[in-house]
Amino acid sequence: MGSSVSHAAAPPPPPPAGLAVALPPKAEEKSEKKVDYLNLPCPVPFEEIQREALMSLKPELFEGLRFDFTKGLNQKFSLSHSVYMGSTEVPSPSSGTIKVPTAHYEFGANFLDPKLMLIGRVLTDGRLNARVKCDLTDNLTLKINAQLTNEPHFSQGMFNFDYKGKDFRAQYQMGNNAFYGANYIQSVTPHLSLGSEVFWLGHQRKSGIGFAARYNTDKMVATAQAASTGIVALCYVQKVSEKVSLASDFMYNHMTRDVTSSFGYDYILRQCRLRGKLDSNGCVAAFLEERLNMGVNFILSAEIDHRKKDYKFGFGMTVGE
Amino acid sequence: MAPASSMEKIKEFLNSQIYDDDKWAVNSKLLGAAGLFAGSILFMRNFGDLMAI
Repeated sequence: MGSSVSHAAAPPPPPPAGLAVALPPKAEEKSEKKVDYLNLPCPVPFEEIQREALMSLKPELFEGLRFDFTKGLNQKFSLSHSVYMGSTEVPSPSSGTIKVPTAHYEFGANFLDPKLMLIGRVLTDGRLNARVKCDLTDNLTLKINAQLTNEPHFSQGMFNFDYKGKDFRAQYQMGNNAFYGANYIQSVTPHLSLGSEVFWLGHQRKSGIGFAARYNTDKMVATAQAASTGIVALCYVQKVSEKVSLASDFMYNHMTRDVTSSFGYDYILRQCRLRGKLDSNGCVAAFLEERLNMGVNFILSAEIDHRKKDYKFGFGMTVGE
Repeated sequence: MAPASSMEKIKEFLNSQIYDDDKWAVNSKLLGAAGLFAGSILFMRNFGDLMAI
């Protein structure tokens, strides 16, 4: 019966070395991982270098009533109807800005295709907005923006050619009023990208150059921009968790001697999205989008400027995707 | 006159920026905004977890 005894005494279980041994070498591997400078990630487009901060700190605050309805006719085509009733600020020579009550209805049509996007909006005050985005090849994209108005000399149009390289992006812009611009952004390390832009305004014979840097990790994004027009813009976004991010930005304009800094939060929850900010000009704002039902969103907007004693509250509804 | 030392030049520059009313209006806004920006970054980095859900 020796054989049965030897079978009964089960062989000792394999030492739990599998997991324990695997973990430390993995950690060492990570810290020793060399940066492959020939395989850097593609940077964000130059004009979106501050997109995280803009998403959190610049919600579309409004005053009055807003109602948006989007109806999809098929997978690619949809129509939208928007009504807005409220005040808009118009710059006036005497006392800064004055509030003008406005109301308009906007009809829009959208065609969305993986390679082609056409968006058109026409308003009852005589304005037409058109946007075209077309992927000419895998790396080259053409974008056209046009805003036509009744008033002479206020219409604008812009053509953008975007080229996306392996670890860089380049853009060339042509606009009406003889505007020409170009920008270039390059990934320098896996976390840092540097870019620069130049522009030329033909009618005013003005040119400018600007530089930008963006440093991002999983948890934070920091960007800095400086331009020869005398503008310095810094921003910092901290992603505290999946649902919460905090952002702060600083903008200095040397020509108008205007300096603004703001600190904001962005809570993205299942049923709502709440964004708020606090400004160095004594302005506090909040923007809430509450999901009432599938496709129905209720919007509340508030902006209180303590220094100028200007209080703006708005409410609205968005129906459709 | 002996050439102004760099310390005196710095003091002169600071005085011209602080005691001039117009410049001080701009500089106080600049200091306030820069303080808010730097303070908010320190707050986000060190106490950001307090605001998490």
